[in-house]
Amino acid sequence: MSLSRRDFLKLASLLSASAALNACAPVYRELSGGLPAVPWASLSAADFTALNRITFGARVEERARLTEIGLVNFIEEQLDHDAINDLTLDLQLSNFKTLKMDANQIEGVTNQIFDNYDRERPAHELRQATLLRQIYSKRQLYEVMVEFWSDHFNIYFEKGKEFFLKTVDDREVIRKHALGNFRDLIWASAHSPAMLVYLDNQANVKGTPNENYARELMELHTLGVNGGYTQTDVMQFARCLTGWSVKEHFWLGDFVFKEKQHEPGGKKVLGLAIPESGQREAEQVIEHLALHPSTAQFISAKLARRFISDNPPQPIVERAAQTFLATRGDIKSVLRVILLDGLAFTQPKYKRPLNFIVSSLRMLNAETDGAALQDHLLRMGQLAFNWTTPDGYPDTSGAWQGSLMPRWQFAFELIRNEIPKTKHDLKALLDVSSTGSLQDDVDSLASLLFGSPLERLTRDGMIATVHSAGATEEETLQVIAASLIASPAFQWR
Amino acid sequence: MLETLPVFHQTPNKTWMPRMSFAPKNTAPRGDTLVVVFLRGAADVLNMVIPHGEDAYYQLRPTLGIPRPDDSKKMKEERVIDLDGFFGFHPNMSPLLESWQNRQLAIIHACGAPDESRSHFKAMELMERGVDDERGPASGWIGRHLATLNTGNSSPLRAVGMGTRPQRSLTGSVPVSALRSIADFHLGGDQQALQQMRAALNYVYQNDELGQDTLSIMDTLQKLDPLTYSSPIEYPDSEFGLALKQTAMLIKAEVGLEVSAIDLGGWDTHFTQGSAIGIMPNLMKDLAEGLAAFHADMSNHMSKLTIVTMSEFGRRAYENGSLGTDHGHGSMMMVLGGNVDGGKIHGEWPGLAEGQLIGPGDLAVTTDYRDVLSEVLIKRLNNPATGDVFPEYEPKLKNILK
Repeated sequence: MSLSRRDFLKLASLLSASAALNACAPVYRELSGGLPAVPWASLSAADFTALNRITFGARVEERARLTEIGLVNFIEEQLDHDAINDLTLDLQLSNFKTLKMDANQIEGVTNQIFDNYDRERPAHELRQATLLRQIYSKRQLYEVMVEFWSDHFNIYFEKGKEFFLKTVDDREVIRKHALGNFRDLIWASAHSPAMLVYLDNQANVKGTPNENYARELMELHTLGVNGGYTQTDVMQFARCLTGWSVKEHFWLGDFVFKEKQHEPGGKKVLGLAIPESGQREAEQVIEHLALHPSTAQFISAKLARRFISDNPPQPIVERAAQTFLATRGDIKSVLRVILLDGLAFTQPKYKRPLNFIVSSLRMLNAETDGAALQDHLLRMGQLAFNWTTPDGYPDTSGAWQGSLMPRWQFAFELIRNEIPKTKHDLKALLDVSSTGSLQDDVDSLASLLFGSPLERLTRDGMIATVHSAGATEEETLQVIAASLIASPAFQWR
Repeated sequence: MLETLPVFHQTPNKTWMPRMSFAPKNTAPRGDTLVVVFLRGAADVLNMVIPHGEDAYYQLRPTLGIPRPDDSKKMKEERVIDLDGFFGFHPNMSPLLESWQNRQLAIIHACGAPDESRSHFKAMELMERGVDDERGPASGWIGRHLATLNTGNSSPLRAVGMGTRPQRSLTGSVPVSALRSIADFHLGGDQQALQQMRAALNYVYQNDELGQDTLSIMDTLQKLDPLTYSSPIEYPDSEFGLALKQTAMLIKAEVGLEVSAIDLGGWDTHFTQGSAIGIMPNLMKDLAEGLAAFHADMSNHMSKLTIVTMSEFGRRAYENGSLGTDHGHGSMMMVLGGNVDGGKIHGEWPGLAEGQLIGPGDLAVTTDYRDVLSEVLIKRLNNPATGDVFPEYEPKLKNILK
C-alpha cells in the first residue's frame, strides 16, 4: 500500500504524538474517531441484531451507514474488506514490533540472554493488537471471521515454543485467509509450525506415530466428529503426517519435512489409496479433506451457529454447504449465503465475554489501549489464545451463562472510568443526541445499547429506583448506564 | 424482539425459566454434599493406579512404566506404592494413601463410557450429559439430578461450578452459578454506591433467576472472607487447590451447597508425559495433594460428603514414540467419602495382555461410569430417579457405597 500525502501527514502526527501505544489519550481518540458527528436514530430490532452479528457491536457510524445503504449493501461492503481503509489502526499497530516478525526474529528479540526468554511480550502484543482491531477496525466482518477461525484453529499461546510461533500463525494462516478460500486456509494451517507444535506433530515420527494432530485435523478442522472417519483412518493419516515438523536451528521455527522421520510405504485414508510420496502424502489427504462434503457441512453449520443461532435452520446450512462445494471452499460465498439468507432467522445468542466487552466499548465510543482489559477477559474466561484444548472457546449460549459477577464488575468499572488507560465521556457522547434531560439521556443511551429506547415506564421506574437509593442526578445516569450494560438484555446480541 | 422491554429481555433459553419449571419427582431431605472432579483431557489412569502385577504393563510401557514395588534396582521413590498386591499408586498419588488406609477411598478401575469415538469433546459431552449418543436431553446429569429432587433447599448456591463457566454437567432447569473466586465476588465501591448498584441491578434483573441468585450469592459471600478463613490445612497453591478450599468454605458456612463441580485440566499427554517426574506426575501431585487436603480439612464432615473423580476416557495401553500416550478407552474413577466401601479396587479387571485389549490397544470398560454415579445418587443423595438422570440406562449397582 502506498501512502498518500494525507496519510503521510497523519503518520507523522501519530509518530510525534507517541512512540509507544501505551502513551497518551489523543492517540486513542484518533482510533475511536472522536465524538459522532450526528445524532443517532432508533433502529429496527432486525437491523440492530444484524449489525451486532456482522460487527462486534454497532458503533454510531455503522448504524448510520446501514441506514444509508441498506443491509445487503452493508454486507457486501464488509465482505470486500480489502477496499476498507483501516490505515489509522494499521499505523497504530505498527508499535507492536513482533506482529510483523517471523518466528526466528521473535525468538531472537525475546531471547534476552542465555536462552532466558521474555515469553510474555509476543503474547501481550498479539492480544493487545487483536483487541484493538476488534474494537477499532472498520473491517468488522473480517475481524469477526478472524476470531471465528482463531477458535476453529485454536492454538494455546503458553504451550512450549508457541510464544515465538503463534504470532506468525495469526498473520500467515488466520488473518491471511480469514475471508479467502478454506482449502488455502487448512493448507496453511497444516504447514504452520505453531499448529504442528501445538498438536505434537513434531513428535509424530516413523515407527512411533503420534495421533494427536491427525485426529484433530479430521475431527475439529475438517470433517467433524461424525464426519465418517474411523480410528484406522486416524492412524493411517498420522502415518502420512510423520516427518511434518519444525526447524530447530537455522531458520528456526520454519516448517520442515523430515524425510528421515517419514514412515515409508503406501497408506490408505478414507478409502483413498495414498502411494508413497513423502510430504505429498499428507497434502493429498488434506486436499481431499478440505473439499469433502462432511467438511462443507461441518464448516457451514459452525458458521451458521456463529451468525444465526445455536440451532440454525437446516436448509440454510445445506445451502451454505452446497455453496462451499460449488465454489470449492470460497469463504465469502458461503458467508454471503449465511448472512443474506440467514440473518432473518436469528435467535438471541448470549454474548461471549469478548463480545460483551468489545460491544460496550464500541457503543460507548470509548478509548482504550487494550492492555488492562485483558485481565477482565481472563476473569470472564475468554482471554485470546488462552484456551488450552484444540476445540476453541465454545460458541453456544449455554456454555457462558452462569457467571454474571465479572460482567457486572466490568460494567461498573468501565462506567466509573476505573479501568487503566480506558476512557469514555458518557455525557459528551449523549449530548450529541440528547436534549440533556436525564430521561432523554437514558433514552439516547438505551438506543445506543439496545437499538431503541426503553419503554417509558421501564425507564422512569429505573430512574426512580436509583434516585430512591440516594443517588444524585449525575450518579443516577452513571448507575443506570452501568446497570444497562450489566443488564440481561445487553448480555444477548 | 427487543422492542418492548429490552432490559428484561426474555429469551427462550432454559436459564430464564423458574427454578422449578416442573414439580420435582421426589421429595427427600438433602443427602451428602457431592463434589465432582473432572480430569479433562483423558487422564492416563494406567499410570495412576498401576497394575504392577501385570507383565503386559511393563512390556507395553518400557519407558513410561513405573517400576514394581519390589524392584530393588530402582529408588524407592520411583516405584509403585502397592495397594493390594496387584495394583498400586504412582508415587505422586501417595498423599491419598491415608484415605485409602482409612477405607474412605474406593477405586473403580476399567471404568468408563461405551462411546468409542476417542474424541475428547464428544466423550466429555456425552459423559456430562449422561447419555449414550447425540439423542436424549441436552441438559447435564447433575442438572437433572437437581431438577428431579426437591430437597426443600432454595439456596442459589445449591450447585456451583468452580471456574469461569458452569460445567456442562450442571446445566438444566435449575440455575447454577460459576464461581471463580469468593474473594472477588463483590462490586466494589463504598456502602452508598453499593446500595445504588444493588438497587439498579435488582431492577434490571427483577424477572431473572440467575441475576437474583447472583445478588443473593453476593450478599451471602460478603459475610465470608477467604483471607480470614482459618484452617490448619494447607491446600496446594493451584486453581484446583483453591476450588477445593472454596468448596470447603461453602460447606462449613452452611450456605446450602449440594453439588460442587471442579475441573482439573491438562491430562491430554500425547508428548513426554513423564513417568516418575514430569507433566503428568505434576498433575497427579496436584490432584492427590488437593484431595488429601480437602479430606483432612473436612474430616468432621465426611459422613455427609462424597467426592467422585472421573475423566472422559483412558489412554492407550502402550506408550507412543514421543514418551506419551494416545487416546484410549477404559478409565478409572475414585470415590472418596465417609460411607464408601474403601481401601478396595472395585470392578472387574479386563487385563492388558493381547486379546484382552480392545480397538487399537486400549483398556476395556467393565464398569459403566453411570453405575457408580447412580449408586451415589440412590444411596448418598436420596435421589432414586436414576432413569431421569441417566435416560435409557439401567444401572448395575456395584456396592461401592454403604
